[in-house]
Amino acid sequence: MQELIVTPEAQGEPMPGAAFEPAIVAFVCNWCTYTAADLAGTSRMVQSPNVRLVRMMCTGMVDPKYIIKALLGGADAVLISGCHPGDCHYINGNYKARRRVKLLMEILPRFGIDSRRIKLTWVGASEGNEFAATVNSFAAEIKELGPIDTRRLPLL
Amino acid sequence: MKKEYGALVVGAGIGGIRSALDLAETGLKVALIDARPSLGGILTQLDHQFPSDHCGMCKMLPLTQRDQSSQYCLRKGLFHKNIDIYLHTELTGLEGDPGKFQATLRRRSTFVDPTRCVSCGLCAEVCPARVPSEFNAGLAPRTAVYLPVPHNIPNHYVVDLDNCQRCWRCYEACPTKAIDFKFEQRKDFHIIVATPDERITQDLPLWFKDENFPLHPTATGEKALELLAGGLECGLMLLDLDLPEAEVERTLRRALELRPNLAVVLLVSKDKDGAKNEDEGKDKAVAALFKQGAREVLAKPLKQAQAVPWLDKLFMRLVSDESFSLEVGAVILAAGFECYNPGDNPNGCADLMLYGSHPGVLTSLEFERLASPTGPSQGLLTRPGDGKPLHRIAWLQCVGSRDVKKQADFCSSFCCMISIKQALLAKRRSCGEAEATIFYMDMRTNGRDYQRYRDEAENTAGVRFIPARPHSILPGPDGDLLIQYYDYSGELREEVFDALVLAVGARPPKSMERLALAAGIEVNDSGFCATRYLSPNRTSRLGVFAAGAFGEPADIRGSMIQAGAAAMGASRMIRVYHGPRDETPEAEPEYTDVSRQVPRVLMALCSSCPTLELNVNADALRQRMAILPGVVKVVDVKRACTREGWDTLRQEAEATAPNRVLIGACLPYMHVPRLRELGEDLKLNPALMDVVDIHTASLAGRATSFGGHAACRASCAAGRGEEPGASPGVCDCGETARTDEMSSLLAMAAAKLLGADPSSLPQATPVSPQALVVGGGLAGMTAAMGIADQGFKVVLVEEAEQLGGQAMNLRYTLGGDDPARFMEDLIEQVEKNPNIRVLKDSRVVLSRGKAGRFVTVVATGEGMAHTLHHGATILATGGHEAKVYEYGNRVRKCVLTQLELEQRLAAGSVDASSLSGVAMIQCWRSREESRNYCSRVCCQGALKNILMLKKRNPGLPVYVFYRDIMTTGFAEHYYTEARRSGAIFIRYTPDTRPKVEFKDDKPVITALDPVLSAQIELHPDLLVLSSGVEPNDSAEIADLFGVSLTDNGFYQEAESKWRPVDFLKHGVFACGLGLGPATMRETLLSAKAAAQRAVRILSEKQLSCGNVVAEIRDTLCSRCGRCISVCPYGARALDLDRDKIVVDELLCQGCGSCMAACPNSATVLRGFRDEQVMAVIDAALAVQPAAAAGL
Repeated sequence: MQELIVTPEAQGEPMPGAAFEPAIVAFVCNWCTYTAADLAGTSRMVQSPNVRLVRMMCTGMVDPKYIIKALLGGADAVLISGCHPGDCHYINGNYKARRRVKLLMEILPRFGIDSRRIKLTWVGASEGNEFAATVNSFAAEIKELGPIDTRRLPLL
Repeated sequence: MKKEYGALVVGAGIGGIRSALDLAETGLKVALIDARPSLGGILTQLDHQFPSDHCGMCKMLPLTQRDQSSQYCLRKGLFHKNIDIYLHTELTGLEGDPGKFQATLRRRSTFVDPTRCVSCGLCAEVCPARVPSEFNAGLAPRTAVYLPVPHNIPNHYVVDLDNCQRCWRCYEACPTKAIDFKFEQRKDFHIIVATPDERITQDLPLWFKDENFPLHPTATGEKALELLAGGLECGLMLLDLDLPEAEVERTLRRALELRPNLAVVLLVSKDKDGAKNEDEGKDKAVAALFKQGAREVLAKPLKQAQAVPWLDKLFMRLVSDESFSLEVGAVILAAGFECYNPGDNPNGCADLMLYGSHPGVLTSLEFERLASPTGPSQGLLTRPGDGKPLHRIAWLQCVGSRDVKKQADFCSSFCCMISIKQALLAKRRSCGEAEATIFYMDMRTNGRDYQRYRDEAENTAGVRFIPARPHSILPGPDGDLLIQYYDYSGELREEVFDALVLAVGARPPKSMERLALAAGIEVNDSGFCATRYLSPNRTSRLGVFAAGAFGEPADIRGSMIQAGAAAMGASRMIRVYHGPRDETPEAEPEYTDVSRQVPRVLMALCSSCPTLELNVNADALRQRMAILPGVVKVVDVKRACTREGWDTLRQEAEATAPNRVLIGACLPYMHVPRLRELGEDLKLNPALMDVVDIHTASLAGRATSFGGHAACRASCAAGRGEEPGASPGVCDCGETARTDEMSSLLAMAAAKLLGADPSSLPQATPVSPQALVVGGGLAGMTAAMGIADQGFKVVLVEEAEQLGGQAMNLRYTLGGDDPARFMEDLIEQVEKNPNIRVLKDSRVVLSRGKAGRFVTVVATGEGMAHTLHHGATILATGGHEAKVYEYGNRVRKCVLTQLELEQRLAAGSVDASSLSGVAMIQCWRSREESRNYCSRVCCQGALKNILMLKKRNPGLPVYVFYRDIMTTGFAEHYYTEARRSGAIFIRYTPDTRPKVEFKDDKPVITALDPVLSAQIELHPDLLVLSSGVEPNDSAEIADLFGVSLTDNGFYQEAESKWRPVDFLKHGVFACGLGLGPATMRETLLSAKAAAQRAVRILSEKQLSCGNVVAEIRDTLCSRCGRCISVCPYGARALDLDRDKIVVDELLCQGCGSCMAACPNSATVLRGFRDEQVMAVIDAALAVQPAAAAGL
């Protein structure tokens, strides 16, 4: 197999004048994190805007193609968040997500996508503050990282 | 018309929810009430439960017919088609007989109109009152208008009238006018004051000037009655006890005759200098008048500062609270328990333990709140007061439990495990740095897997377990605590801790007395609901059942099983009294097939909601939505949450005839039942409808608070040189961003709806209305009776030649029942029951199928084979006394097991009076590998024998070597008795095991006595060993039915707490000893719970799957089989005959694991098809074209 050329991620030009607000797609599980996100919202916790929640039944159903699709479609980062280990409504879906995301994090840098653009977290139903904090810190990290520019990625 | 329900469930904690669901799933209508304003009981406050240390409550939700109930976090709330929930409601009376009870309920007003409240929180911001928050166990203050639980849905504020300061600021602040203090009604609320006291007559009109009440002071009762007779619509009467006694009584009686609903308040002068006798006389008079219908007492002399608020609040209660009655077939009481508060009891231990005076002393409930992210410290384990991180934490067990002096001659059952869990939590939160120490009397790890949990805490996590009771708890340096205790070896030790957690036990609910009176049930000595040992789910009143921890303190697992058993009792009662259930089940709604139609989306946006209007540019939003693909119309619905709003929506929908409906409103969860209704009206499948929460996004502007935003709006207006509010909807403080966000949310939902699969669901599975019970012991027979009594056929398969099983070996119980007699009766009932077919000397040889349709072959001893079609299976294969050949057991006559001693004592072959000494060794080969579990029955068995020996020969020395005495619940009482009777209990550890030798055929036991700190040597006549319980070999059965076993050979349930009698394989249930060691009482409970779970399937004519279910595109499938191994429910299989992967749509719970695993996208999850998810991602990332166009 041809060795992939790994180049540092192509950085998009920062837009002059306008602060960069990262677009983040979050795949959240219906049982825990979605509830936490709801709690964060109804409790008026300060949350970074530009995070779009996509409710999934379980993190175990988050196909890597969705993550890649989101990144190619213009998301600067993808968050996957589900129930704590041992707490999955569907017994072990979150473990499947963990394995899948780990692999993805190893593969994506080969295509020039920084693995820091994907994050997997566990946020329980009552952890509204945890969810807000996760989203905010993730958004801050991505702000630091700058926008993704998929057009300049090698091989894509 | 009076509403009718199958059952009334009192208490909406987890016990009540379990019972209600168990009944509702069998098709009965259930009314679920709770005195609190929120659902979920104590579990709303607890975030972590062992063994997973997380929540898992949602696992209680139904697995079949899923769409009849809510499919979201249960802590948010519950919805089920057959359950009506009444919160803030108490049971005040229960008349009638089983099958037709008249229940009177009182709903206390919250003074907030739930159809108007948008949970904006402005009311709480302005409320000046501060009281300790119940939700945060008093660690944080709350206002008098507050959110009871932050994560509940619907989440409306409630007014706590008792603590309200009547400043009315919340009323003024409320933007939707949801708070109603009945100002308008005051001027029509006539109050008669009958008093000879002129000061009152003069003062009251002055005091009540602002309130505007029409007051009618009269000097005599006679005049008051004249007013009433004259037709005055009076709401309240103040009646002075200083009037002549006969007149008071007559006035009261006559007034209530004229106005049966009149509230009469007695004015009683309490003279401080007055003679005590006089006071007592008055108390008696008051009590007598209360019996005649007086409601309240107000002490004289009246003071303006107290009397005015008091009377005004009484008025508000009188006009706002409502009383209503329901007709119910059976009643389940699940009012739960309350945690012991050391500060409450004047004779309590608060001062000794520094509780309340030292911030480092917490109750376990307070610790839970500290550890909770919704708690006062957002989940940081810091000491209240100085905020010091908690590193050295001690737990003190049995605070308020196992304490005869505090009227607690019982064990609360759950505190030991809670403390271990909390210790582990503290360890984990600090990455192992925290030092956790548990001071205990006995560590009651008496569940099947609890001992392993403890071992892990002790050996892996490093939690210290110290069997000692600290004698002094003193304030230490730097706000720390100094704890002094004698350790196991008898040495005095002194340690410093940051915090001490008091593991507080259970107490009956505070309202117990009222509830017991209202429901007409008896309570036991400890104040819990009285139940009989061998009918643990029944109260003293026929048709009234006890669920959850109402009858005996229990942990979650115990509560679940008890609740299931109570549901079975109620269900049976209802069916017995009502006869066979209506044979016309509710017709399933029929939906039009829209799969051939072009998607037409009707989008409805809720308006007239102040928060929404204030924060969003609604016009822009509407215009943007109208140009989305597939959207045929965007309608404005004024307040979709109200009936009128919903009617507008329905009319619009009828006119537009859409085949998709998308609603933008608040609280999507609340709309679930309405979507179903709308679906029935439009003949459109609710799966093609969705509600998007545009409210939360509109709230608060994320970065600013609601108030902050309003202020910003004003300043924006000022910046434009306008009057505030001159151009509403124009503000730069994030309004555009919010509108963008909302249109994005709606566009995402619309994209998902567009791609929704409109074809109909897979065919429903018809159910064979028969159950198979494997095992004819106590559990199997009880379960069979539970099912047969509800009108279903049961086949009971027993391997032995006789029914009865292990329980036949028992001769007496701790409670003094006669198990032999009980078993005899049960066997007779089973054999005579026309619905039960008993197959003795038979075994199951083959089983195929799924929930609703099993086919099983049973071979009998005569060589016959029966093929059975059944809808549900219960495995009750039981267990037996463990057989170990050590310590001379089965070799020497002087060595017996507890069970043998019981039988010999009953038969008289052991003569207690001729013995000179008996020694017992507990936990013999239990609680260590390879049988590392507590057998649960041995401690109680030993106590039973000790008490019998002592009864026959009170002077007989009895020595018990034990590790921990596991008498949970009310069995603790017998431990107290046994100690009182003079039996000597000597603790040993696995390292200091007693040694047994034999001299002249008599046992000689040498052991270390930790109390004496010396080696002792005993020469008893008898050595009795507690050998514990082992499951019968059920590997074959487990294999046949596709269920799994634990390492020790017990059945592995689906979830140890939330689904304790279910298997992962749906339609198969377990109970009795096969599930885990259990006493007779516990076996009865689990058998009844399992029976109810089976009835839940059998009562259905056919089972249909949920809307989110996996399907296969056969042409894309490469039969790689990855989806089969990945499915956690075993719902997928390769059909070799048809060369196809098949999905069992009943087992499939819609988790989508298969979809992610499939390399060919051949497996598809309905509702989450790839096209849909991709479209949603696109919509989420789309730059709104309309936004770009400047709309």
